[in-house]
Amino acid sequence: MFIFFSSSNIYSLIQKLINFINSIFYLILIIGLTFALVLSPPDYLQGDSVRIMYVHVPSAWIGLACFSLITLLSVLNFIFKIKNFYFINKSLAPIGLLFTCLAVITGSLWGQPTWGTWWAWDARLTSMLVLMLFYIFYILTFKLLNKVELIVKVSSIIAVIGSINLPIIKYSVEWWSTLHQPASIKIAGSSSIHAKMLMPLMVMLLVFLLYAALIFLMKYKTEIIRIKKKNIKRN
Amino acid sequence: MMSNFITMNGYGLYVWLSFSVVFISCMIVYLKTKKTLKKYENEFLAELQNLTSEEKNKALENSKVVRQILATSSKVN
Repeated sequence: MFIFFSSSNIYSLIQKLINFINSIFYLILIIGLTFALVLSPPDYLQGDSVRIMYVHVPSAWIGLACFSLITLLSVLNFIFKIKNFYFINKSLAPIGLLFTCLAVITGSLWGQPTWGTWWAWDARLTSMLVLMLFYIFYILTFKLLNKVELIVKVSSIIAVIGSINLPIIKYSVEWWSTLHQPASIKIAGSSSIHAKMLMPLMVMLLVFLLYAALIFLMKYKTEIIRIKKKNIKRN
Repeated sequence: MMSNFITMNGYGLYVWLSFSVVFISCMIVYLKTKKTLKKYENEFLAELQNLTSEEKNKALENSKVVRQILATSSKVN
């Protein structure tokens, strides 16, 4: 069933995917930046500071998505013992940390002109900071522990405990009275964001996703080479 | 027009700083990841060179991934 996840099958796909992403990335980046910085209209309340949304929101979404995926793969690894999931998680975690940090930093830079403060111990901001800490603990297990079995156990526990924070992040703006605005984009139901702002946001999300995929593939390729190097004499 | 684009009607510092932080961080992570990948590829090739021809043939014969690493590394180098 999981033969597709064998390293030889995956490795052959990686270089093709890296080449594909490299070939389209810069074009989509230029389109995204043109829309985000030039063509999209300023907000009637926030003015041009709303442009920070085009880097802040995709960063936050990817930070959350990476941790959700890490949790899911950790659980599946526990059940099915698929070693590749361990390498996928190891490659995903730094990307999730990067984007979570960027969401916090750009959020702070958006908060100053909008709320008049760089930081507030508000539910959404604090829960994002907690996610960042979970990412740091998760990555530290790979750095500090030596035995793979122990790393899998400890990192999975961190991922499962950290996943409790994910719905808190999502619903914090509804459960508590926060400085952070409620979600403008809803999967179910109508979004309150104008199409002229939604379109650049989606293009920038695509740019960030392509970048995340590129880094993931490079990190995953490094992991495969590292393992093959270790086992080269046994082959 | 151009000065409006730069100042962003008074929000230029925040907007440009946000985009710069994202761009620079992503660039650093990309370059670091690429450097690490290159380092492991070179180390792997060096390890392969250190094998006896019999061991090398065996490794190439038994592992599809080893053959692929060798092929892609040769193209890159």
